[in-house]
Order: sequence, then structure tokens, then C-alpha cells
Amino acid sequence: MTSNPIQATNVSLRYPTGRLALDRASLSVAAGELVVILGANGSGKSTMLRCIAGILPLTSGQVHVAGQEISGLTGRGLADARLALGMVFQHAYLVRRRSVLANVQTGTLGRHRTIATSLGFLPAGERDHAIGCLDAVGLSEFAHQRAGTLSGGQAQRVSIARALAQRPRALLADEPVASLDPEAAEDVMRLLRRVSHEDGLAVLCVLHQPDLARRYADRIVGLRQGRMTFDETANKVPSRSVAALYEGLAA
Amino acid sequence: MTTYARVAQAAPYGRALPFFGVLVFAILFIQACIVVQARPQDLVTGVHGMIDILSRAWPPKVSKLPDMLWPALETIDIAVFGTVVGVVLAVPLAVLSARNTTPARPLYVLARAAVAFARAVPDLVWALIFVTAVGLGPFPGGLAISIHSVGMLGRLFAEVIEDMDMGPVEALTMTGASRAAVFSHAVVPTVLPNLLGIALYRLDENIRSSLVLGFVGAGGIGFELLSAMNLFDYRTVSLLLILVFAIVMLAERLSAALRSRIG
Repeated sequence: MTSNPIQATNVSLRYPTGRLALDRASLSVAAGELVVILGANGSGKSTMLRCIAGILPLTSGQVHVAGQEISGLTGRGLADARLALGMVFQHAYLVRRRSVLANVQTGTLGRHRTIATSLGFLPAGERDHAIGCLDAVGLSEFAHQRAGTLSGGQAQRVSIARALAQRPRALLADEPVASLDPEAAEDVMRLLRRVSHEDGLAVLCVLHQPDLARRYADRIVGLRQGRMTFDETANKVPSRSVAALYEGLAA
Repeated sequence: MTTYARVAQAAPYGRALPFFGVLVFAILFIQACIVVQARPQDLVTGVHGMIDILSRAWPPKVSKLPDMLWPALETIDIAVFGTVVGVVLAVPLAVLSARNTTPARPLYVLARAAVAFARAVPDLVWALIFVTAVGLGPFPGGLAISIHSVGMLGRLFAEVIEDMDMGPVEALTMTGASRAAVFSHAVVPTVLPNLLGIALYRLDENIRSSLVLGFVGAGGIGFELLSAMNLFDYRTVSLLLILVFAIVMLAERLSAALRSRIG
């Protein structure tokens, strides 16, 4: 059986407080596919990503990333498994005082666990690769500028370049456009779609904007109170299914 | 009823509190005046003595200046030595005693305690201890400044580390980088400029401390100042005070200029 780069099966997560944040949620993302998770605040969207990334331990179920089971791993094993998994957050999380290029190069640190990189040196020989990744997000002209001088949208694209520098097979994006203006949000979504369609990555993205999801995603998954309510091709999702995600929940 | 009136009514201590606050501080100040035996009339009767000393201190004995250059260098170098050793020891202690970077709870507690102890004991007391241990001279002064600096810097460095943006740490951890690489590529570049600024400010403070340490036998200008005072050589004293003023001003300006360049 050939498994998809992201494969989550019957994932449940119960917090120590007793709250069931995820209830037997399953989803899979194929190479070259962009899947968006929609859901209200507290529906378990981000929790789902954090479970796939191995940040939160599952109560039950399994997660496979690039064919390797990630649930239950810790330390070095988890770090190795994460090499195949890039992650983009709501904020770019760049080191503001370092150059844009240096920030992108740090994406390759997991593949170069040497004494030199532990001491703060960037991996030798990854410079050209990093420039290529920066070029892929259209920002190579900013390579030698400080990351702190970039706009929010540019910084977010650099953070995607950093994730690409890691040479992942799958990419998780946790509300990557939540703090961007509409135009920058379109840029980032366009980029995520290109990364999946052209570079063949499996991209799983949490969003708050149903319209962006419809326009960019191949498939949309709905989460409500930890349960998956639908998993459909983007243009076949009925509006009422999307509306139902947010109904009766006071914001 | 207007909103204002309702709010005013809802605050029963509204008018009484400032009055009692002022009263408490007035009482505090009066008892302090009694305890320190403050007698303003002494300042008036003391004017003659002051004028006498000032007249005997003028002009400063400039001929002594060449002899004082070495002690001046000693004073500065005690501060430089103490700051460098202080920074080198404070950085690892700060990493251990910052909640977000400490590897284990017992180490956190130990490091916090060590830093707090180094800070609680004044540098003058450290100097007295080290003069007794290693003898008179600039070395005990340098040691005293080192230990006291560890106490001050360890705490400030830990605060900087605790306040830092943890985003890059999370992002690099997710790339599969090792703990050491995450530390050197995410934590270090984020906090380094702040640490450098604090260290420069410490150097400036340490130069002032180092001047005083000479009084207890820990070398430098302070020691010369004490000797001149004991010999009633007020013209040398005034020369030394001018020298002290110059060094302190210079250090302050230099440290401020360097700090403004970090950013």
C-alpha cells in the first residue's frame, strides 16, 4: 500500500482537563494536493495540526508522515521524522536581526546536525539551495536584507521558503494568513497552491476564511467540536455545510 | 444619574485614599529625619570647614598626575576584568535560570539561588572578603566586581531570555534541528544585542564601583584617594576627584554611544 504523505487515522485527543478536543478524526493528503481545514475557534483545527506534527501526544489513533508513524516518537526520533514535514505558522517566526537568506538556510539545520551548526554556523553548501527556495517564493532580491525589515506578507513567504529549504514532502500551515491583509493573504495562498501542485508537496492548511478555502483548496475538511463533519472536493462543498460549522457557537 | 456620579459613588475610598497615602509618607519621612539625626544648622556651622578644605584643595596638584595614571588604568581594568568574567559566568547561569530555556527544575532553582546570593552581597563586602583571602591589590577588586556582576547580569540576562519571542524556537524545532542548533540559531541571535547592551551598561557601573573598592584595599584610584585623605593632602585629593570625574563621564558617554549603535 502506498500511503499519502499525510495520513491521520482515528485521531483522538483528550486534554488532562477531560475535554475531548479531537474525536476520531481521520484525514489524508496526497502528494500534490492542497487540503484546507475549516472550523470555528475551538473546533480542534490547530489541535489537529499539532497532533500531526507530533507536538501533542495522541490519546488514540495514528499519524503517518511520509509513511513513517510519528505518534509516540520523542527526542531524536521525532526530530528525524519531522524532516519530512515543514510547518508554517500564523506568524512568520523569523529571527528579525538575521538576514533573510540566513533565515531560509536555518530550514536545513535538521539535515546538518554537526558541531559547527550547533555552534551557530549555517550549514555550508546549502546557500545555493536556500537562494533557490527564496527565488521560488519570489523574494531573492531581499536575500541580504534583515528579516525584520520585511512586510508581514513577505515575512510569511520567507517562512514558507524556510520550510521548503527543509526539503519536506508535506507542509502544514496553521492559519498562515490570519494576520495578513487581503492582498498578502492571496499571495500566500497562491504560493501554497503552487507548492502543492507544482512541487508535489502534500499541503494541509488551517483557515478561517471559507472563500479563500473554496478558491484555493482541492479539498475542504470541516471540523466542529473535534468531529469531522465533511470532507469534500472544494467546489462540491454545500454552503450550508460550511455555515453549519459556525452555527450556534457564540464567538 | 450620570455615569460619572455612579462611578464616583462606587469608589468609597476615592477621596480618603490619597490623603492617607500622603500622611503615611509624611510620617515615614519625619521618623527618618529623627533616626538620621538630621540637623540643618550643622550645615551652616560646617560651611567654614568646607571652605577651609576647598581652599587647601586648590589648585589641584597636577605634578602628581603622571603617578596617578597607573592607578587610573588599574581602576578601569578592574572593571573590565570583572565585567568580562561576570558576563562569561552569567550567561550559562541565565540560561539555566530562565524558565523557557532551563533543562531541569533543580538546575533552575540552583542557578536562581546562586545568582540571587551573588547579587545580595554588596561588591564592597565581596572586596573585603577577597582582600582577606588573596591579599591587597587590584586582583581582589576584580574578583569582587566579577561576583557582583554575575548577580546583577545573571538576573537581567534571564529576564531578557524569558521575554524573548519564542516563535523562532518553535519554528526551528519543527524543522528537526537539534536542541543545540535551535539554541544557537534561534535563542542566541534574538537575545544577543540586548545582552550586549546590558553588559556595556554594567561596565559603566563597574567602573564607578571599582573606584570605591580601592577604599578597602582593592587597588586603583580609590586606594590613592584614601591615602591622600589620610595624609590631609587635599590638593592630591582634588586632582584625583577631577580624574574620577573624567573617567566616569568618559565611560558613561562611551557606553551610551556603543549601546545606541546596537539595534
